[in-house]
Amino acid sequence: MEDNKNVVVDVDRSVYDIKDIETDQDFYREKEGLTEDIVRHVSEEKNDPEWMLEFRLKCLKIYNELKMPEWGPDIDGLDMDKIATYVRHKSDMKGNWEDVPEDIKNTFERLGIPQAERESLAGVGAQYDSELVYHNVKDEVAAQGVIYTDIESALRGEYADMIKEHFMKLVPPTNHKFAALHGAVWSGGSFVYVPKNVKVEIPLQSYFRLNAAGAGQFEHTLIIVDEGADLHFIEGCSAPKYNVANLHAGCVELFVAKNARLRYSTIENWSKNMYNLNTKRAIVEEGGVMEWVSGSFGSHTGYLYPMTILKGERSKMEYTGITFAGKGQNLDTGAKVVHQGADTTSVITTKSISKDGGIGTYRSSVVIQPTAKRAKASVSCDSLMLDSISRSDTVPGMDIRTNDADVGHEAKIGRISDEAVFYLMSRGLSEADARAMIVSGFADPVSKELPLEYAVEMNNLIKLEMSGNG
Amino acid sequence: MDLNLKVNVIPALTYNKLQLNGSSINENGIDITSVGTPDPERLPQGVDIRTGVDTEEAESIFACYREKMLKADEGLPKPNGDQSYRNDNQSTRTGMGIEVDELLDKAGVRSDVYYVAEDVKIDEPLVLHYELSDGDGSLSRQIIHLKENSELTVVMFYESDEEAAGFQGVSTKVLVEKNAKLKLFKIQKLGNKFLHFDDFGGVVDDNGKVEIVQIELGAIKNWNGVHITLFGKEASFLDNTGYLCVGEQQYDMNYIAEHRGKKTVSDMYFRGVLEGSAQKVFRDTLDFKSGCSGAKGNEQEDTLLLTPEVVNRSMPIILCQEEDVDGTHGATIGQLSEDVLFYMNSRGIDDEEAKKLMVRARLESLVKMIPDGATAGKMQYFVQNMNA
Repeated sequence: MEDNKNVVVDVDRSVYDIKDIETDQDFYREKEGLTEDIVRHVSEEKNDPEWMLEFRLKCLKIYNELKMPEWGPDIDGLDMDKIATYVRHKSDMKGNWEDVPEDIKNTFERLGIPQAERESLAGVGAQYDSELVYHNVKDEVAAQGVIYTDIESALRGEYADMIKEHFMKLVPPTNHKFAALHGAVWSGGSFVYVPKNVKVEIPLQSYFRLNAAGAGQFEHTLIIVDEGADLHFIEGCSAPKYNVANLHAGCVELFVAKNARLRYSTIENWSKNMYNLNTKRAIVEEGGVMEWVSGSFGSHTGYLYPMTILKGERSKMEYTGITFAGKGQNLDTGAKVVHQGADTTSVITTKSISKDGGIGTYRSSVVIQPTAKRAKASVSCDSLMLDSISRSDTVPGMDIRTNDADVGHEAKIGRISDEAVFYLMSRGLSEADARAMIVSGFADPVSKELPLEYAVEMNNLIKLEMSGNG
Repeated sequence: MDLNLKVNVIPALTYNKLQLNGSSINENGIDITSVGTPDPERLPQGVDIRTGVDTEEAESIFACYREKMLKADEGLPKPNGDQSYRNDNQSTRTGMGIEVDELLDKAGVRSDVYYVAEDVKIDEPLVLHYELSDGDGSLSRQIIHLKENSELTVVMFYESDEEAAGFQGVSTKVLVEKNAKLKLFKIQKLGNKFLHFDDFGGVVDDNGKVEIVQIELGAIKNWNGVHITLFGKEASFLDNTGYLCVGEQQYDMNYIAEHRGKKTVSDMYFRGVLEGSAQKVFRDTLDFKSGCSGAKGNEQEDTLLLTPEVVNRSMPIILCQEEDVDGTHGATIGQLSEDVLFYMNSRGIDDEEAKKLMVRARLESLVKMIPDGATAGKMQYFVQNMNA
């Protein structure tokens, strides 16, 4: 009998691929395309304050003026005239899980979100298409003064000034074309504020689900971790697969104050018709620490390079990421860091795996400005090719403008070594099991940075990809 | 003549904000006073020279390789931001790119061809000494063709007075056939107001070897490009480049090792020093093409930054379309390590002297490789007496 582990097939996505039927009765869908009328209509639907409408219109103008990037994956298959930028369920956001509409609740139940909330999270936000459908934070965490709410409520409520002060200040709409698009049609997302010296012991999580075909999701996440505070925030995303392009152009802005620490973990498992053009940026004050953990498995096309500005003296950044590019995928991922403060430190560690004709690109930028005396930067990127029909490219850039810096860069590309496979086979493993074990080991530096349950999910994804048992 | 060239474009673009995707030469009113390669000081026996050859005819030796490469690449996925198409019309790809060829064509520069016949192994180096004076403007293009089992060493020495101003542009293309070996030394010590570019492209067939030793010291603006295509099985490329950029010097590099043949090997080492407000852009690509199974590529950059105003930008790229390869890049950029300084201090050498020693050491190791006594002597004198 043929050993099915010798066949490398796509991961079993049956859980993620369950689709809810979008009916006119339950859903509101903005017409497709991107015009001033549509932007005004989205703003009206969302009951924006006047300044936000003006901001959206300014972003639309910038979007129309900016060119598509020449350096990244081809996005010709993305036609904005065929994307509905706003789709929402007609139900309001709930604070009680039982009140969430049945179809949506079932979807999130299958994805294990409520169970995760009960067992291991301090709070959960669940976004379905363009709007949050559920948001809750544990009482003991709220009692510490931690604010975790949907960003629209924050925009209209008591935190309105704080939102206005920070919204798209770190990622200005002029940054690139899809940042401008986000500014024009953003909807949904979370606002988190952790007060001074508060340490949130267990993570908060937002889960983003895009159910609608031919639609875009443009959530905005804004997190402020005040002086001496500590937070771990987890972001998960998935969507069912359709035969038309879907678009995700979210935006994440993270403010890490003096001596604060923020860990931002992402497991991205969008469906393989998704264009994931996401922008994430953090600014870190004196003595602050920003940690990124990122796993990119899904999407048809991905542009994802979380950026950290190490503004304050002795601030630190660590980025640990893995990208698994399979059949039909072109995932262009990496990280950016700008050292501004003295004695700042950055460490970037990435792993990239390409198979079945997938294209994986590691892309990075390390900038050390003249003020960043005694800065230290270290980059290590390893790539693994599982066949010769795929591509794996490494495109790192460094710009160093002071002699008082210490910069190291290492990149390696290679295959699974025959010697390692032979060794494991001599210990009784089949060749396929040996290869799967080596790939899991290759990804180990990333999985060990994740909470246990997420590390298990990531390792399962890798095993399924490798074994063909999905 | 006015120069407006886009050069040193990397094979796969990246963020525009880094300004590392390529470089421009925008210089107006360049006066070209001489065209062609200088006569060798001695002509080693066995080297056949033809000067002023029609370039299209001279470069026809690359045609069969070019056709095979273009055909092999048909239908294969390209890297994101692919720019390789820019140089598809070159006879053989060069590091600086097609606009250098177009400039030389426009200026009417014909090719000088150096040819070594099959099985001829030449011990004595061919020395091409470019002695330039203040106000000179020079353009030249050479083709070096080594037939099967032949060997040749070439020393290209570009020199002028320290204070001289002028312009020099050089293009070199090489074809190294089966089992042939080329050693190429390029030493640039032009005046500190010179503009200089040096473009190189080459194809290496089965078991052929190309070794380049390059020392870059002069010129206010200096552009270098190297593109070596390891076409045949077990072809290899070794590059050792050393440079010293001081004052307001600007040095712009683009090195590409393209692996096509099975078990091909490339090793590239770059050791440099930046001082004053010098600026350096370093681009290096290991490009593993489909079919180069068993290939190994290695590139190491070591840059010493001596003053706070220097600007160091680096772009070490790996492109890969083959499973069975081994590619590594490494870069160390910064000041002298505290360990080195402590060791030196403990032996009575102060920090300033320790820096000078380390700068000299980087260049001396390359100067010692120069096979031509006269050139090596001049360079040793320079290195021992320089102030950096």
